[in-house]
Amino acid sequence: MDTIGYQGLIGVSLAMSLWLISAGLTIIFGVLGVINFAHGSLFMVGAYMAYTFYGLLGFPFGLSVLLSLAVAAVLGLIMERGFLRHLYHLDHAYQLLLTFGFVLVLDDAVKIIWGGVFKIPPIPRFLDGAWPVFGRPFPVYNTFLIAIGILVGIGLWALFEKTWWGRVVRATASDREMANAIGVNVPWVFSTVFVVGAMLAALGGALGTPIRVAAPGIGAAMIIQAFIITVIGGLGSLKGAFTGSLIVGILSAYGTLFFPIFELFFSFVIMTVVLLVRPQGLFAHVN
Amino acid sequence: MRTWISSATVMLILLALIVPPASVGQTACQLNVPTLKLGVQGIASGAHADYGRQINMGATLAIEEINAAGGILGCKLEMRFMDDENKPATGVKNARFLVNEWGAHFLYGTDSSGIAMALGPVLQELKRIQFFTHAATHRLTEELVYDKKIKEIVRVSAPVYQDAIAAWVFKDNPEIKRWATIGADYEYGYATWAIFKDVMKKSRPDAEFVGAAWAPFLTLDFSSQIAAVMATNPDAIIATPWAGEAVTLLRQALLMGVFDKVQAWFQAMGGSVDVLEGISREVQDNRFKGKLWATARYIHNWPNTQINRSFVERFQKRWSRLPNYSAETTYSAIYITKLALEKAKSLDTDSVLAALNGMRIPTPAGLRVYRSEDHQFVYNVPAGRVVWDAKYPIPVLGDLVVIPANEYWRSPPFTAVPVGK
Amino acid sequence: MTYLRHAHIMSGPLTAALVAALIVLPLLAGNYLTYLTIQILILSLFALGFNLLFGYTGLLSFGQAGFYAVGAYICAKILLVQPSLLLGVLGGTVAAAVVAVLLGALSVRHTRIYFSMLTLAFGMMIYSVAWKWRDVTGGDDGLVGIPRAPLKILGIASISLSTIEHYYYFVLVVVLLGVFFMYRLVNSPFGLSLQAIRDGETRAPFVGMSVTTHRLLAFTIAGLYAGLAGALLPPLENTVTPVMAHWTTSADPILATLLGGIYVFSGPIVGGALFIIIKDLIVRVTVHWSIVLGTVVIILVMGFRGGVAGIVAGMVARPRAAPAPAVASK
Repeated sequence: MDTIGYQGLIGVSLAMSLWLISAGLTIIFGVLGVINFAHGSLFMVGAYMAYTFYGLLGFPFGLSVLLSLAVAAVLGLIMERGFLRHLYHLDHAYQLLLTFGFVLVLDDAVKIIWGGVFKIPPIPRFLDGAWPVFGRPFPVYNTFLIAIGILVGIGLWALFEKTWWGRVVRATASDREMANAIGVNVPWVFSTVFVVGAMLAALGGALGTPIRVAAPGIGAAMIIQAFIITVIGGLGSLKGAFTGSLIVGILSAYGTLFFPIFELFFSFVIMTVVLLVRPQGLFAHVN
Repeated sequence: MRTWISSATVMLILLALIVPPASVGQTACQLNVPTLKLGVQGIASGAHADYGRQINMGATLAIEEINAAGGILGCKLEMRFMDDENKPATGVKNARFLVNEWGAHFLYGTDSSGIAMALGPVLQELKRIQFFTHAATHRLTEELVYDKKIKEIVRVSAPVYQDAIAAWVFKDNPEIKRWATIGADYEYGYATWAIFKDVMKKSRPDAEFVGAAWAPFLTLDFSSQIAAVMATNPDAIIATPWAGEAVTLLRQALLMGVFDKVQAWFQAMGGSVDVLEGISREVQDNRFKGKLWATARYIHNWPNTQINRSFVERFQKRWSRLPNYSAETTYSAIYITKLALEKAKSLDTDSVLAALNGMRIPTPAGLRVYRSEDHQFVYNVPAGRVVWDAKYPIPVLGDLVVIPANEYWRSPPFTAVPVGK
Repeated sequence: MTYLRHAHIMSGPLTAALVAALIVLPLLAGNYLTYLTIQILILSLFALGFNLLFGYTGLLSFGQAGFYAVGAYICAKILLVQPSLLLGVLGGTVAAAVVAVLLGALSVRHTRIYFSMLTLAFGMMIYSVAWKWRDVTGGDDGLVGIPRAPLKILGIASISLSTIEHYYYFVLVVVLLGVFFMYRLVNSPFGLSLQAIRDGETRAPFVGMSVTTHRLLAFTIAGLYAGLAGALLPPLENTVTPVMAHWTTSADPILATLLGGIYVFSGPIVGGALFIIIKDLIVRVTVHWSIVLGTVVIILVMGFRGGVAGIVAGMVARPRAAPAPAVASK
């Protein structure tokens, strides 16, 4: 019983790091209608920036994470204003391809800047150690991830439901033209949403650096999982991304314990079944 | 008229400068080629890009040294490095480019086993020898060389057999009985676990294999694998993820208190320079409690010979890094080529292979002995405890256990490895 | 009528000259260039099938590599048992088409992003099967030692294809046939209906079939072409590995098609050639091929969505002042 409980809790912590990256992906899709392949690359950039500020320059961990978010925000702004904006009137295929181009560029760019060797900062002291849960040591770091995941969830809910910006964004998401007609600055809404999404991706990457490595290619490892979750939950749905993350995180933890052979296959099967039976996903749209 | 003649003369002189003189330089080379061309490839993009970089550095150093000393039989060496992107199709295309287009006489490198297996038959078609310097699958030499007689494959690096040294390291520890693995979820991880169990059962019939969890390529979070394996209460763990994944795995295992519970953790390729760099702080703080053991395909602090010390020194001077095993194996492969060519005095594949027969060559990693049945160079690589030694900028392997490779390496005639999860 | 522009580029003397050049190529070019041309021919065939789905039908598949891999694995399996090239290539192609019918029946009900995601999922499922079903597929090491089997025709003749040059001619014949059939197909009433469906025209000549059936047929043919392209690889490379089914492999025909031009028949062919030549040239100069390729993709998407063949076709067609096609926004 303890084994089941402990593994489940590990699954929840896995789910929370998946949630951070799929949240941004789903918001961008919900409002802009764009599937951002480069979301994983922004995750990678977040990890490298956190490494640079925290591991290399010795800034406090919290500040380093904030600075990484700032860098991702600028990068996101450039991607949206400089490029993506000019493609909204086209088929979604071109947006996918553009963001795929970003993936190719960013993957190589980090290698040119930071070199081919993976980068590892020290573990921040307050995240070190473990406490007993179900009779076994459960890492503080995983607990921290769970807490952050829940906080980000509450924060996003508040942002979309309780603020003026959130109302404007939801209005734009549900009817772009109507929003435009009532005086909403739609291009501005798009930029801010893309920036928020980019920052969420970078947050996932930055928070991972204490235990993960920053390496070229970690974005590609992450993006497909984020796709799966976003599709399962429903493209554009935050609630769906949260639930989808929990499903994939917990299932993959139990999969490792009970059916190690099928792990990779399972996630795609779930994704396919959801797409076939309920293409809008388990939850409806963001609005 | 005079202007015409003088300008024609100038033109002729210029032309003479552009067109290289036919025989100068060639007379010096006894192999009758302008230069000896060595094609090298490895992973140079993605998460494991440093391994290709190390191959590149090792090859470059060897070539610079050999050229400075007059080349091989008077022939200057020329090298070309290519990124195989960790994709078999790219590796094959590179090999074809290097041989058919660029004119390589020998090939070197290749990190991934998948690419190595794909290259085998192509080498036969291209009629060029490749010295493999990292790819570890036993199938490369057992299946393709020993069974299928693809003679163009020669392996200088230690294959997956090396990981089974773990069975010998803990042979005399009766308290370590229950073994589990956190394995790379692909052929390398399966083969290591299978060969390790095989060797272990012979020396310790009481050993139990209690758990296995598998991590796909490019796993970013190992907590579920660690939790699953720890649920089986193992005495010791053997782990095969490598490079950055090894570092992530070890640091997560620390956070999950694994080193308070197990007696030993054997990180198969943990002796690799990048992994040791990655866990530097934790080793310095003795976080692994002396329970972390590892091996590699070469470690820079063994053997304590002149040739190895001088290699490490020159490598550090040239690249400001310590040599990884893929650097040493590639470096040595080029010196092996030199020795073979000096004996064969010909670029012909059969002559070169004949010259390899019976070869025993001192290399930085120690004495390498050529095994002609499967074209595998056999040499000893110790396993050791990961320790901090003030003499080095990064952790090293200490308390070294040196066991003759022939004791635990598989040797011909080969029977199939029961590879399975 | 933008889709008729191919008539200008592919027609007459130019096509004949191109085919003639391809026929004499192995006699003049070196071994490597011949090999590279085989790669170009295979990618062109792969992309041509992909573009039936994308350019002509308006469905962006991110899972074509799945069918490509099915073709390759089945061909490899056959050749390992029965060394007959024709049997292997046919078997691989048919298997890919069968898988495409099955998965297509599930996929074509969806359009736009859902179709792209569904095909991505199917492709990756095939990838995980290739990776995990080790007894059959050889796991990540793949299947090795696949022979470049002789071409046996009904037990009458057996032609050895063991050299690259010989194999080149086999591939050339197969690819030319593939191009010819595709050309006929897109100019048939069926091909015109596909384009009508893509553009959302309801008064299209539907030749008595539903939209879904049209899409399924296009999906199956695209899968068949992918399978055929895939089946041509194992005899060339002697190996198949799971990465063939990975979504990054699905990106190759997409990039090639984009490079060449989506709304021109010859676009995928031109693009296939450019894609392989550009990459081959980049990697000769730098290991940083990815940043260069990425920049090319971004520039193309931002400024040259007609692709190279599209631009050329536009120049040829200029006297008629046909406006460049705005890509349908749906």
